[in-house]
Amino acid sequence: MSEVIEMIKNAYMPEFILIIFIIVNILASLFFDTRFYKLSKWISLLGIAAAIASTINLQIEPDAYAFEGAFLTNIYTVFFKILILICGFFLVLLSRNMIREKRDRAFEYFTVFLSGILFAMCAISATDFVGLFVSLEALGLSCYLLLSFTKSPNAKQLTFGYLVQGAVVSALFLLGMSLIYGMCAQVNYDQISLYFANANIMQTQPQILLTFSMILMISTILFKLGIAPFSSWLPDTFQGTSYPIGAYMSTVCVISCFGVLAKLLMIFLNYTFTMRIVFATLAVITILLSSLSSIRQENIKRIMAYSMSVHSAIMLLGLCVFSVYSLSSVMFYLFSYVIANIGAWAAIIFLYNSAKLQNLSDFKGLWYKRQYFVFAFTVVLIALAGLAPTSGFVAKLYIFSAVARSGFIFLPFLIIAMIASVITIYAYWRIIRCMFRRIETDIVFDERVISSKFILYACSLATVIVCILADKIIQICQFSAYSM
Amino acid sequence: MNFLSLIWLIFAPIIVALIIMFPKFPNHQVKIRRFAKWFASFHFVYALLFLAFFDTSLFGMSYEKELTFFGISWLKSLGITAKFALDGITLLMVVLTTFVVLITLFISKIHIRSKHKLYYSMVFLLEAAVLGIFCAKDMFMFFVFWELSLIPIYFLVSQWGNSEARRAAMKFTLASFVANMFLFFGMLILYYYNFAVSNVLTANIETLNMDSKIYPLWFQITVFVNFLIGFVIRTPFAFFHNWYPDIQSKSAAPVNILLSGLILNTGVYGMIRFNMQVFPEIFKIFAPVLMIWGIVNIVYGGALSIVQQGIKKMVAYANIATMGFVMVGLSCLNTTGFNGAVFCAIAASIVYSALFVIISSIEFRTKTTYITALGGIGQVMPKCMYLALIICFATIGMPFLIMFTPKLMVLTGAMFSNLDQQLMVKIVAFIGLGAIAVSAGYIMYFFYKVFCSVLLDQWKGIKDLSPQETAVLSALCAVIVYLGINPMNIIAVYQSVSSIILDVLQV
Repeated sequence: MSEVIEMIKNAYMPEFILIIFIIVNILASLFFDTRFYKLSKWISLLGIAAAIASTINLQIEPDAYAFEGAFLTNIYTVFFKILILICGFFLVLLSRNMIREKRDRAFEYFTVFLSGILFAMCAISATDFVGLFVSLEALGLSCYLLLSFTKSPNAKQLTFGYLVQGAVVSALFLLGMSLIYGMCAQVNYDQISLYFANANIMQTQPQILLTFSMILMISTILFKLGIAPFSSWLPDTFQGTSYPIGAYMSTVCVISCFGVLAKLLMIFLNYTFTMRIVFATLAVITILLSSLSSIRQENIKRIMAYSMSVHSAIMLLGLCVFSVYSLSSVMFYLFSYVIANIGAWAAIIFLYNSAKLQNLSDFKGLWYKRQYFVFAFTVVLIALAGLAPTSGFVAKLYIFSAVARSGFIFLPFLIIAMIASVITIYAYWRIIRCMFRRIETDIVFDERVISSKFILYACSLATVIVCILADKIIQICQFSAYSM
Repeated sequence: MNFLSLIWLIFAPIIVALIIMFPKFPNHQVKIRRFAKWFASFHFVYALLFLAFFDTSLFGMSYEKELTFFGISWLKSLGITAKFALDGITLLMVVLTTFVVLITLFISKIHIRSKHKLYYSMVFLLEAAVLGIFCAKDMFMFFVFWELSLIPIYFLVSQWGNSEARRAAMKFTLASFVANMFLFFGMLILYYYNFAVSNVLTANIETLNMDSKIYPLWFQITVFVNFLIGFVIRTPFAFFHNWYPDIQSKSAAPVNILLSGLILNTGVYGMIRFNMQVFPEIFKIFAPVLMIWGIVNIVYGGALSIVQQGIKKMVAYANIATMGFVMVGLSCLNTTGFNGAVFCAIAASIVYSALFVIISSIEFRTKTTYITALGGIGQVMPKCMYLALIICFATIGMPFLIMFTPKLMVLTGAMFSNLDQQLMVKIVAFIGLGAIAVSAGYIMYFFYKVFCSVLLDQWKGIKDLSPQETAVLSALCAVIVYLGINPMNIIAVYQSVSSIILDVLQV
């Protein structure tokens, strides 16, 4: 018994706590009626806070295993998990107004929400394909459920594409997985790597099969990240969902997918060099396409969808170079992207909740109504655009320098990506310009919306502080990347 | 000398900009203006103290300071630190920057009628960015300030310009961002391939170099060209100059002064710091090309200047032509030419700022900037006319005025340059001499048409310069005359620096 407790304490304490709080949430929905809908929010906040606190006690040196090696905890997974949990904490706060409108489904919403976070964390910790598949599928399911929480009439139509494509793509993942299993009769990452590292086997096995199965598996991840050929669902789905769920999909899912993608690429990329070029090409195409598409959008949610796509593509470009240095740069980029993205979503949610603003043309003249708010929003958008006094610049510098370091062959991709990133600057600039238009507006703000404003201020401050103290976080990222 | 801190020099304007932008700061134009002027005066004096305590015999950087946050240097694990230092060239540029900002603030009162808070904070932000560009000892810190300077330019041009200014500013800003990406790309490559050679991860400008023995020539040339693209757009050299007359003709008068006085120098400085110091070998290869480019610049700028009808465009093209002299001077690869080029850049910003001050006074009184619409206003504005006469003579390069020495030094340098293409060098020097005569033509045409011809009826009622404008213009003329008589005062400050740079470069 004490061994089990020790294992829980060392390896999967945060997940364990989350499971407990999910059950508490379900039980609470049985005993409390709609009047106590706020209880679910507090349970979720408490659960996430407890999970964050419990990560301190996890054993990160040496690696801790659970479930006979199927579940891994080390500094790398802890980094991603803390990021996911912090996102989750803020997203619970941001969901407040949405829940107020749907009191009868509050417990339901937070149960699904917490289990999504739980499986996002499990996907990172998984050490074999089975655990990975189950976690990703459960994460996907929670996304489908959350998407269906909206009440607008065309929301179902818009989000249906995601459901269908997601189902197809996860079937492809399963196919790729079984092909790999057919080749080496293993599901564990390390053993698959060992198997392919044996040179004799590489001669006898057809390499094309390995490449094919790799494409099948990784395209699932790319689908969730919104990389070019799989990104058609992204803007429609975002437009159809309610705001906190868009924020959820562009942060929690992205963090989890990158945590997984780095592990998968570590297995595969050593054997197929040409695939690096393919991924780099996909990344560059995505940056170009999404940034060009975003500059003609009117709906703010669509702009944020394309922005998510661009940032995932930049991180993919950093990841397919694949060195310790580039992995740590991707982790830092993820960190800075998450802060800025949560801040931007908080601002957008504030505007929607307090004044029902959702198009760019509604934002006109906002500066003359809410100066502190617009200033903070501008800082966050500058961070997303990757300009100077914010964490976005350091992240961009770090990730591009990692690509530049990797050799001549990636330099053409780098220059295209850098020039395309100017287009994204313009895309964010459109939002800022709209807010500074000198136009008399009759926007009336609901003064009761506080939490999203508070999160926006916290995030905009954090982007500047992270820029100033970037060195510490970079050291943590490098340390975590080494542990991979 | 401990009270002289570069950190304060650079970041004080940013703090002041934030104070002005702060919503609690009184939104009263007189208070804002007074506060801004007082601060700019103190800042100018503070910058002068750096000059006063500067040791001209010193080789290398002085006043070095590092910006740390709670004892942590910025991005130390990537080899990037927020270090600032000065040498002779940058010191002069820093003093010049604070001076130009000061005179701009004195001119701003009559031209800026709205959004005072935004205007004054943006001026200070621009000042801080330009100072940061000059003082940054670290390549990426340089880039941060380089990009930061674009944002105030956008606001300054778009908010107070004429109806087409917004579009022009957006075009310029986006084009500059693209050019900056080339610059950034070059920096990243330089950063890593320097690491590969020396095994030290650093972005310190002094220690960077690209070993010519290890990397193929084409690769080094690619990086060099990336840097060059970034800098020639800022210093509008021919074929990349389109934005400059465009923006100058559309923006408000004080912004003209800022653009001509602050922005062009940053490009020249970047070329000296990176293209000459980091890639001396490649610069030697490119020197003949750059010299021809410079002379093309002189001829092209002059030719376009003649045909302009708007004064602002004419002066902007004349400015581009003068920047051609800088390029020729740099590519001579000898001390005379180099010293002349740096002096020329400094003189150009003083002289063209002064010309834009004159234009601002005329524009304020007549509401027009077309040469044909003006005429004979010297009769009603005698003070303005006499001061303008000194400035116009200085622009042409009259002896005992500021522009004479640099042009002479550049052409002498070109004449005695040791480049292999001796015939070309001599031809360039002669064309340069001819171009001075042409510049005399268009500047004097402007002066004659505006001040001396028949006085038009509608201008009979306009008033002469106000005491404030007279003071600003007299100060500028005093600088022009003083540095024209004592050019060695300027050159002595950066002579030791130029000897370091040219030791490597001399053919």
